[in-house]
Amino acid sequence: MQGNSESNGASGAAADYAVRTEELWKIYPQDPRPVEAVRGVDLTVASGEFVAMAGPSGSGKTTVLNLLGGLTRPTRGRVWIEGREITALGDRELAAVRMNRIGFVFQSYNLLPVLTALENAEFTLLLQGVAASERHERVRGLFKEIGLEGVEDRFPPKLSGGQQQRVAVARAVLGNPALVLADEPTANLDSVTAEALLDVMEKLNRTKGTTFVFSTHDPRVMERAGRLIRLVDGRIEGAAVESG
Amino acid sequence: MARRDNDIWWRIAWRNLWRNRRRTIITASALSFGFVAAVLMMALMDGMLEEVVSNGTRVITGQVQIHADDYRPDQSLHATMGGREGLDVAGLLAAAESVEGVTGAAPRLYGGGLVSSGEETVGAVLVGMDPGREEGVSRFGSAMREGRMPGPGEIAIGATMAETTGIGPGEEVVLVASAADGSTGNELYTVSGIFQLGLGGFDNSYALLDLGSLQDLMAMDRARIHEVAIAVEHTDAADEVAEGVAAAVAGVSEGLLVEPWSVFHEQLYFMISMAGAMNAMIAMLIFGMAIFGVANTMLLATFERRREFAVARAVGTSARDIGRIVVYEGLLLGLVALAAGAVLAVPVVVYFHEFPVDLSGFVGTYSVVGSAVRPVLSAEYSWDGPLVAAVALVFTGILSALFPMWRAVRVPPADALAGR
Ligand SMILES: Nc1ncnc2c1ncn2[C@@H]1O[C@H](COP(=O)(O)OP(=O)(O)OP(=O)(O)O)[C@@H](O)[C@H]1O
Ligand SMILES: [Mg+2]
Repeated sequence: MQGNSESNGASGAAADYAVRTEELWKIYPQDPRPVEAVRGVDLTVASGEFVAMAGPSGSGKTTVLNLLGGLTRPTRGRVWIEGREITALGDRELAAVRMNRIGFVFQSYNLLPVLTALENAEFTLLLQGVAASERHERVRGLFKEIGLEGVEDRFPPKLSGGQQQRVAVARAVLGNPALVLADEPTANLDSVTAEALLDVMEKLNRTKGTTFVFSTHDPRVMERAGRLIRLVDGRIEGAAVESG
Repeated sequence: MARRDNDIWWRIAWRNLWRNRRRTIITASALSFGFVAAVLMMALMDGMLEEVVSNGTRVITGQVQIHADDYRPDQSLHATMGGREGLDVAGLLAAAESVEGVTGAAPRLYGGGLVSSGEETVGAVLVGMDPGREEGVSRFGSAMREGRMPGPGEIAIGATMAETTGIGPGEEVVLVASAADGSTGNELYTVSGIFQLGLGGFDNSYALLDLGSLQDLMAMDRARIHEVAIAVEHTDAADEVAEGVAAAVAGVSEGLLVEPWSVFHEQLYFMISMAGAMNAMIAMLIFGMAIFGVANTMLLATFERRREFAVARAVGTSARDIGRIVVYEGLLLGLVALAAGAVLAVPVVVYFHEFPVDLSGFVGTYSVVGSAVRPVLSAEYSWDGPLVAAVALVFTGILSALFPMWRAVRVPPADALAGR
C-alpha cells in the first residue's frame, strides 16, 4: 500500500479507506423542478481497491465522481479522503487536496494541448513542487512501464486516443494520490485500446497499490473491476451490500 | 511546499499565444500600428511644439530679457533701464554675455510713432536696435525680404506696412514720434529694407531703426534703452541662465529685472509643459480604444479554452495560477506588439524627421499663443513619446487580459467532467 498512507501532510490521520461518503446528496436547482442527481450515497472505498461504477446514462456516475474528488460540493452529506473531511474545506485547501491526494482521468480532452506528453504527465508533480530532474526521471520511468516511451516531446494532437489516455493516467498516478477517479476513461477508445488502458490501470493498481474508481458503460470493463457498484437514479443499487 | 517552477505559467501563456497564430498576429499588428501611430503623433506634436517655442523665442524676444523693473506692465517710454540717467549699455551687454549659456545679447529701445510717405500715414511700433547684435538674437536680419537692415538715418518696415503705404526701399519717409522730453520729434529717413517675419502683427506695424537714430528722435541719450534680449544655447535651460544673468548684471545698475521666457511667454511655457499630458492623452485615446478589441479577442480565446482551465483546476491548479496564465498572455502579446511596433516606428519617425510634410499648400501659417507656426509636419526625436507609448501598449495588453482573467478563474473545475 505504498504511496497511499504516506505523505498525507494535512491530516496525517491513519485511515484504512481511500474515500468514504455519508448520506451524499446532490440536487441541481433547475426549471421546472430540481434534479436530484445523487440521492443518499453511502460508499467506502478501501485503499488499493479497483472499483468500477456502472449505471444507465443520467444515473449520477459523473456527479458521484465529482463529489468524491472535491470538484463539486454536495447539497447534503460528507466526504472523507483518508480520514480528512474534504466537504469541510475551503476552495484553496480543496485545490491542494486535489493536487496532492486525488488523480483525475476524464473521458476526453484530458491534456493541456500546449504542453507535451511529458509536461502534461509531470504537471501534478510540478504543482507539488518536485524538482525538475526527479520529475523527468519519474515520468520517463512510468512512460517506459506503460508503453509511452518515445512520445515524451509530442503534443497531444500528435498522440493517439489511447496514448492520450495513458498520459492522463500517468499524470493522475504520478503524484502518489490516495485515489484516482476516472470518468468513462475508455469511452472514446476502440475495444483493443480500451483493454490496453485497463491493463495499464490494473497494473498500476497492482504494483503501486493505487486506488482506482472509474465509471463505465462497457460490460467488458466492468468485468475487470475488483468491485462493481451499480448506480440507478442516483442511488447505489442494493445499497445494503457493502464490501470492505 | 517546495519552490515550484513558475516558468510553466509563462510557457503555457506563450504557447497559447501562438496557438491561433492568425488571431495573435492580427491582434498584435493592430497594437503595433497603434504604437507606431502614437509614437508618430507624439513626435509630430513635439515637432510642432519645438516650432512654437523656437518661433516664439527666436524670432524677436530671445529666451531671456532684461528690463527696468517698472517697465511692465505699462511699457512706459520713461521706464528705461537705470531710470532717467540710463546705464552703461556696453557694460550691461558685456556682463550678460559673460554668463555661461548666453550666445547673444541685443539692446533695444521702443517708441510709438507715425510713418508717413506723403499720401499714407500709419501708426508704427518703432524699435531701435543694433543690427549686428540682433543677428545673434532675433530673425530681423534674416527676414529682410528686400534691402538690408537700417543704418544711421535709415528705417526698415514690415512687408504688410510696405504694401498698405506703397513705400519701397530707397524712398524717404517722415517719422513722427513723441520724445522723452515731451516734445514731438520728426525726422526724415530712407527706407533701407522690407522685412517679412510671417507674423501678422509685426509685419504690419513694426519699424526698425538704428538704435542711435531712435534715441536721437526720442531725445534720449546713448545710455537709455528699454530692453536687452538675450539668446541662450538651450531653450530649456533659460531659467538657470536667467538667474546667472541677474547676478551678473546686478552690479551694473539697480532695479533690473531679468526674466526667462517661461515668465514672459507664460502661455507658451504652459503649453510646452502640457506636452507630457498631451502625449499621455494621445496614448490613452489610441490604446483606450484598443483595449476593447484586444479584451474581446482574449475573452474569446479564454472562452474557447474553458475546458482546459477546468482540467487544470481539477488536477489542483490554483485559481491564481489560472489567472496568471491569462495575464501573462496579455503581457506577452503587448511585448510582441511592442517589439514589432518599435521596429516599424523607427523608420517612420526618421522619415518624418528627414522629410517633413509641407502643408502650406493647404493651410496658411497660423499662430499659436502669439507664436507663428509654419504648417509643416516634422517629427522631433525624443524618448518621452516612445516611452509613454510603450508603457501604454504593455498596459493595454495587461488591462485587456483582466476581464478574461476574471472569467477564466471562475471556470469551475467540475466543468472538466461535464461537457463532452
Ligand atoms: N450541472 C448540472 N446541472 C443540472 N443538472 C445536472 C448537472 N449535471 C448533471 N445533471 C443531471 O444530473 C443527473 C445525473 O447526471 P450525471 O452526469 O451524473 O449522470 P451519468 O451517470 O454520468 O450519465 P452519463 O452516463 O450520461 O455520463 C442527470 O439527470 C443530469 O441531467
Ligand atoms: Mg457521466
